[in-house]
Amino acid sequence: MKGLVEGLIQVKQEGAAAVLATVVEVEGNGRVAAGQKCLVRDGRVHSGTIHHEELQAAIIREAGVRLQQERSKLVPLDLPLAGGKMEVFFEVIPSPPKLIVVGAGHIAVPLVRMAKVLDYYVVVIEDRILFANRERFPDADEILVGDMAETIKGITITPTTYIVLITRGHKYDEPCLREIIHSPAKYIGMIGSRRRIKACFQRFSEEEKIAKEDLQRVYAPIGLDISTETPEEIALSILGEIIKVRRGGKAQSLSGH
Amino acid sequence: MDSIYEQIKGFLEKGETLAVATIVSTRGSTPREVGAKMVVTAWGEILGTIGGGCGEADVRREAIEVIRKREPKMVRVDLLDDISSDSPAVCGGIMNIFLDPWWKGQEEMLEKENEGSS
Repeated sequence: MKGLVEGLIQVKQEGAAAVLATVVEVEGNGRVAAGQKCLVRDGRVHSGTIHHEELQAAIIREAGVRLQQERSKLVPLDLPLAGGKMEVFFEVIPSPPKLIVVGAGHIAVPLVRMAKVLDYYVVVIEDRILFANRERFPDADEILVGDMAETIKGITITPTTYIVLITRGHKYDEPCLREIIHSPAKYIGMIGSRRRIKACFQRFSEEEKIAKEDLQRVYAPIGLDISTETPEEIALSILGEIIKVRRGGKAQSLSGH
Repeated sequence: MDSIYEQIKGFLEKGETLAVATIVSTRGSTPREVGAKMVVTAWGEILGTIGGGCGEADVRREAIEVIRKREPKMVRVDLLDDISSDSPAVCGGIMNIFLDPWWKGQEEMLEKENEGSS
């Protein structure tokens, strides 16, 4: 299983996204057997033991959907010419989500620490070297010091990127928001009181002609309502909101209380 | 830490056959999600977890069989049966687990079989 295992290792090392499709049950005609599999990456078959073109095409198609939903699933396929009725398990190997924390203040410290526990790739952006350093953020994957709006402009943002704007003031948050408002980021959260955020959005829609729908995707005020009091609790409520957006939960107590 | 695939490679390079156990579907409340993986070696060693408890012990037993025969198998673990046990992993759901034997040279072997049949 050389090519496949190596392909999987490579995917993990590069932080790439891929799908491992495995035939787990076959009812059909003997052309395909349980255990046959293929690794789909970048929209094509990278390696594996499925060689039938029609089956490969069906797998590539479904892999695209799985990857988009970031959800592994057992899918029934029925291909009369390529094995008949079968169950194929699509295992999604997502690229690790990236969390960009803009502003390295007192909330950022526990936020970065907790995000690393949750396996995010974490980037910290800050313009003050006194705050943006290894002593404060030993676990961060990247610490970028410079003008915050300029810096975030230069970062690759994908649909698995989550951005938290928690700088020391709206004066700094707003130019950053302007740079990312049209990005494909899965989540943009911005700290601030309701009043300040309302004023900010007002300005954005009037002066900068930024569409209402674009502003509506911003989670501001940031975080879930769990009556936070400490920076650590605020960090937790922000990450709770990010998980909710990523996984699609309702953020209520499961008990209904 | 090495990813699970690097660990798998290490075992395959040594010539061992492994069983890769993956939760492919669930019903009700289960300890881990669809896609969770556990690797079982011929000696019964385990890497990763599919939730622990009695279910895992059953899967491990089946996995050793799968390694011996080098044939994949679907196993259904009914956690409802565990309700009276002391296992901390009592959840009450059902998991379908695919047990897949992996060994070095498998791809080449299947390739040859294919050529032979066509």
